[in-house]
Order: sequence, then C-alpha cells, then structure tokens
Amino acid sequence: MKRLVNWLDDRSGIRGLVKEALYEKVPGGARWRYVWGSCLTFVFFVQIVTGTLLWMFYSPSTQTAWESVYFLEHQVEGGWFLRGVHHYMAQAMIVLLVLHLMQVVIDGAYKAPRELNFWFGILMMGVTLALSLTGYLLPWDQKGYWATAVATNLMAEVPIIGPAIQKIVVGGVEYGHHTLTRFFAFHAGVLPATLVGLVVAHIYLFRKHGIHVKERRPRRDCYFWPEQILKDAVACLAVLLAVVTLTIYFDGAPLGPPADPSSEFPARPEWYFLFLFQLLKYVPAFWGAVIIPVFLVTWMFLQPFIAKKQWGHKFNVGFWWTLIAGAVMLTFLAVSEDRANPKHAAALKEADWQANRVIDIANKEGIPPTGAVSLLRKDPENLGRRLFSTHCSSCHRYNGHDGRGFPVSEKQSAADLAGFGSVTWIARLLDHDQYVSEKYFGGTKFKDGTMVKKALAKYDDEEKKLLPEIAKLLANEAKLPYESPLEEDKREELLSLFYNDDGLFEDGRACIDCHDIDSEDEGSAPDLTGYGSRDWLIAFIENPEDKRFYGKKNDRMPCYGRDGKLKPDEIELIADWIRAQPGQ
Amino acid sequence: MPQDNEQANNPGDRRKFIVISTIGASAACALFPFVTGIPSVLDPVTREDGNAKVPWTKVAALASLPEDGTPTKFEVVLAKVKDAWTTYTDIPAGAVYLTRKGDEVVSYNLRCPHLGCAIDYRKDSNDYFCPCHNSTYGLDGSVTNDDSPSPRGMDTMETKVEDGQVWIQFQQFRPNVAEKIPLS
Repeated sequence: MKRLVNWLDDRSGIRGLVKEALYEKVPGGARWRYVWGSCLTFVFFVQIVTGTLLWMFYSPSTQTAWESVYFLEHQVEGGWFLRGVHHYMAQAMIVLLVLHLMQVVIDGAYKAPRELNFWFGILMMGVTLALSLTGYLLPWDQKGYWATAVATNLMAEVPIIGPAIQKIVVGGVEYGHHTLTRFFAFHAGVLPATLVGLVVAHIYLFRKHGIHVKERRPRRDCYFWPEQILKDAVACLAVLLAVVTLTIYFDGAPLGPPADPSSEFPARPEWYFLFLFQLLKYVPAFWGAVIIPVFLVTWMFLQPFIAKKQWGHKFNVGFWWTLIAGAVMLTFLAVSEDRANPKHAAALKEADWQANRVIDIANKEGIPPTGAVSLLRKDPENLGRRLFSTHCSSCHRYNGHDGRGFPVSEKQSAADLAGFGSVTWIARLLDHDQYVSEKYFGGTKFKDGTMVKKALAKYDDEEKKLLPEIAKLLANEAKLPYESPLEEDKREELLSLFYNDDGLFEDGRACIDCHDIDSEDEGSAPDLTGYGSRDWLIAFIENPEDKRFYGKKNDRMPCYGRDGKLKPDEIELIADWIRAQPGQ
Repeated sequence: MPQDNEQANNPGDRRKFIVISTIGASAACALFPFVTGIPSVLDPVTREDGNAKVPWTKVAALASLPEDGTPTKFEVVLAKVKDAWTTYTDIPAGAVYLTRKGDEVVSYNLRCPHLGCAIDYRKDSNDYFCPCHNSTYGLDGSVTNDDSPSPRGMDTMETKVEDGQVWIQFQQFRPNVAEKIPLS
C-alpha cells in the first residue's frame, strides 16, 4: 500500500495536495460556526451524484417527462427514495445557503480583503436559485408547469431584450418539448458546471485569505484535519439525517397530476420563493422582476464598500435582517391567504385526486405513447365530474360542492345529486322536511307543488313508516352499481304497496294516484318506471320536458340533449358519473 | 483518506478517537448519495418479469408464402409491448423469415445469434448471410461456413398454421452462446 502511494506520489505529488488540503490552519481552534460552507459543499456533492443517477431515468419531453418520473417513483426499486433525497436536499441547500450567508454578513467576513469571494458567493446563490427554479419544472406536473409559466413570464419584463430572453429560455412561444430540453440542459449541465467552477474559485479564495475569525479566542490554533473536519462531517450527517427523515416522512417527493394547459391549477412556487410570489400581488411585475432584484443585487455587490463607511457594516446587517424579516412576513401572508381560501384548498384536493387517479390508471393499464395526460382526459370519472361541474353545478350540487370539491358561489337551486336514486337518497326525498329543503326541491317551484301539499305534508305516522319501503322499490328501479337488486317477491310486495292495493295510503295520497310504474297509463306526475336507471337518467338529461318526465311542469332544467347543449356521449358520461357512487 | 504517520502515531486516545470518527463520518457522507441510488440503478437486474407466457402472434397468411420454400421476410406486429412507462399497442417489434414446406411453416428470427445484427437472405446464393461479421446460414438455419463466427444456427420460434394464417411465438434469444436461451 505504501509503495503504491509512493509510486503515485512520485508521479502526481498527491501527498502534498492532501497535506495542503487537510492542514489548513484554523486560528483559535475548530468551531461549529465554521461548518456551513462545508455543509453546502457536501449538499452540492450529494445533488450532483443523486442528480446524475436521476438522469439515468429521466426523459425530457412533454409526453415522457412526467411519465418517466412516475415510472421511477412507482415502478423502479428505491426510485422514490432517490428522488426524495434530491428533492429535500435541494431545500436543505437553500436553508444552508441562507445560514452561511447570514453568518458571513454578521461576522463581517464579506469585508476587505474578501470582497471578491463574497461576490462569488452571491453569484453562487443566484445559480442555486436558478437550479431550483429549473428543477421545479422537470417533472412536468401541474405545479411545475403553472409555476414556471409565471416565472418565465416575469423574464419578459426585462426592458427591450426581455421577450427574447423568454423565448430563448422557453425554447419558443409555447411551453413544450424544447422548454423541457432547455430547462434540463440548464439544470443538469450549464448551471451545475457553473456552480462547480464558482465553488472551486470560492474555496480557493477562502483558502487564500483563511478563516475569518470574528473575535480573538483564548484557545490555541488547530488544523482543519481532523478537528474541524470532524465538526463539519457531524454537521453534514445531521443535514443528511434531516433530509432522510423528511424523505421517509413525506414518502418521497411529491408528484402532481401531469401538466395540462387546459386544466387550471393555482400556481405556487416552492416555499422559499413564496415571498416573491406574494410580493407580486402588491407591486407591478416590472418592479418584482426587474427594479427590486437589480437594486438588491447592486446593493449586495456594493456591501463591502458600504461597510467601509461609519455604520456601514451595521447598515448592511440591519438591511439583511430587514430583508429576511420581510421575506418571512410575505411568506407568512402567502401561506395564510391560501389557508383562508377554501377554493385553494379544494384546488389542492382536486390536484391530489387527479394525481392519485392517473397513477392508479397508469399502474393498471400502462401509459399510451400520447402520455399520461391523455389517460386523465379520457377517464370517464374525471370527465364526468368536470362536466357536472361545468354544466350542472350552478343549480345542482354534489355532496354540497360542484362535483370536484370546489365550493359554488351561486345559491343552490336544485337537488344535491350525490347518491341520486339510492335508497338513502330517495328515503330522504320522501321526508317532507328534506323535500322542501335546499338539498332537494327547496330551490324549485316543486316545493309548493302537489306532491308536497297533497301527499308529503299530509302523511300520518303510519303512512310515513311505509315511505322507506317505497324508497327501496324506487331505488331498485335505478339498478345502481353499488346497490344490490331486490328479490322478485319483495319487489312484487313493494309494487303492491305502490299501487296501494291494500289501501294503506289514504285515497289521493298514494303514489299511484299521480305516478306510474310498469304500466302504459300516464299519470300526472313523472313516470317512475326505471327511475334513476342509466337509460332513464340519460333520457331525462336529454329532455326533462318530455311528457314521460316533467312535461310542461319542468322548472328551469335545461333540455341538454334536445337543445344541443351537450353531446350524447357527454350526457352519458354525466349520467354514469352520477350513478357511480353513493353520497356521503 | 491517507493519514499522516506522525499524526497517527500520536499516543493520545482522544486524538485517535477523533481521527476514527472523522474518517467514519466523512466516509458515511461521501458514500451516502451513491448508496441511495444503488437499488434504482440495479432495478433492471433485480426486476423479475417472471416467465410470462409468450403470446401467439399472427404474422402472415399461408397463401402469401412461396410454396418452394423461398424465405420471405415479415415484420412481427405485437399486440402489446411495454417499454418502461409506455405501453404500445400493435407495434412492430421485430421481423422474421418464414419458409413454407407444404402446409408446414418454419420461422427464423431476423437477428443473428452471433451479436444481434439483422440477417439478409441472399437470393443469388439462396442462403442467409449476416452482413456484420459474415456468418452464413443455410435455408434450414444451420451454420454453413466454418469461418462463421456464430456459435449456433438461426433461432427458430414456435410456429403454427391455423385457418390459413401463420402464428408464431415471437421471442429474442441470448446472443453468442451455443444453446438457445430465451431472453426475458
């Protein structure tokens, strides 16, 4: 071993190099406060290694980016952990960066003769932020897509060359393949290479000027090796532990539904950019994208000179603290505004639903060459709830929301259709108080109709006890996928109750007095044969004014099929979706 | 990390402890990102695709094959092919030579069993020839030339004729070994 090292040393001088690297003097002894730089270097190293490994799985194009990340996350052994470590390490990098920076500022380590190195540090911060911005888009999920749209639109604010910069970065006017190939090249090539160069320069200059010791210390000097390295390594292990904990706790990095320009999503950047996001609510984009950043960067570069003035250093430190306090406050505002907004919560829940849904389908059926977004676009369940939300939810509700979980601002004026046609749903309908409530017909003219006045309001206790049986009979007509059909005998028995064969309902209050089942006659009220079944529901949505249904008594329900408001397959999707699951 | 002899010989136990802990902690940090990726990178090796049954695929109509046994090349369109995350349907996944003898058909994989190049059928010499490394095969698929580097004859696959259609169980085999071992 020794001979091998000698051989190598003769030819490379490796001993000298290692000595040079390890025996840097640490004046006043090793301290915990010197660990941040090493930690950052370590984190960057982890990002390079895990990033290169992720590269083996990633495919940058609009039909394969999300898909390849999904595959790594859900099909490749340990893929979720690898990606999770890269994701949370990136966040750790930002935190460490701020700590390192603030330490340099507070200790005055940016002052002469270390100005140049401070500037390198500022540049590295810029590159790191650019890395996280570009990385955010790569999974090509809704979150990354919409947030990047905002970020790149800000670039266009730069005077004269802004629009050109935006086109160069985006790779055209629209976001697409070339946005991904470019962002990927920046994220995995240009930016890390730049950062490596800057790190080398930064460390070289750091070594040239040595550790900046804020105050004289009584302890004797030591060398970098091993005391300071031990402290550095322990700090790195702590970072590692935190990242692994986060990765395991959150089950890896999040992956939203695949990017879809036609499906809205509330764009939010990564948490450390939230203050900028919030700032743009108060200032014009030009200020947020150009004036403020230019002012801040100029000030940062001038800091070493400002420090030479009396009170200059105090001003710098104070200004940094003000910036951080401002950022914290803006972040807090951004988070609390979102928290207070039920629509935002619903949008996140909807995105979660879509992500789980598409992953579910992809696991079962695989992904077609057109990409995962086409799975969602063709998914009957997803389409059904969207159609309901667009066409039905301004009057109807579904479990109180619009079908997708969003609150609706218009007043509810028609029945809540979650669990429509089920035993529970009909049993409630036949209860007078529920019938006239907003959940059923409270918003329609039927609340003062014959059914209420002549039947529901008049039923005595004995008759009321029969209504749940009627509900069973009617629900049986719907043949809902989640309810089992009645035995033939039972149906006959209930039908006889419906027909009031035994006179259990007082004359004029029996169902058969107005409605029909299984007969050719036409009652004065909707025919209940096949009530709630697929065919019945489709026919009803097509034309509620048909004499089989409400006829002329129809109250504002549009004739979607007759008037061409919806295509036949869209009506089928809505009907299937309404019938698919019980209400809550 | 090489140690300086002078330092390591320092008798202080404390120092020894510091050195060992430093090496340990640094090594753990340095190895961590690599270890993180090992399971994922090794995934293709550890992945058990199982001995999934090779599906029968319709390749051609029997009538389209010359009765004299002249080989004809057909592309094999598989009903379903998975490539990592993408599932393709009805996609050409390879090609075969079919030769007919009466109502019997033999299928030969286009890929050379030597190193996987595409084999040509030479009309003038009525044999198969691999243009990469000059393996030559007879019409029955056997190696005909002693200079041929191929360790085995062309790969045949299970073939049947039903209702005038030729069906095969399309498979690839491990190259450059004497036995025919299916790849899975």
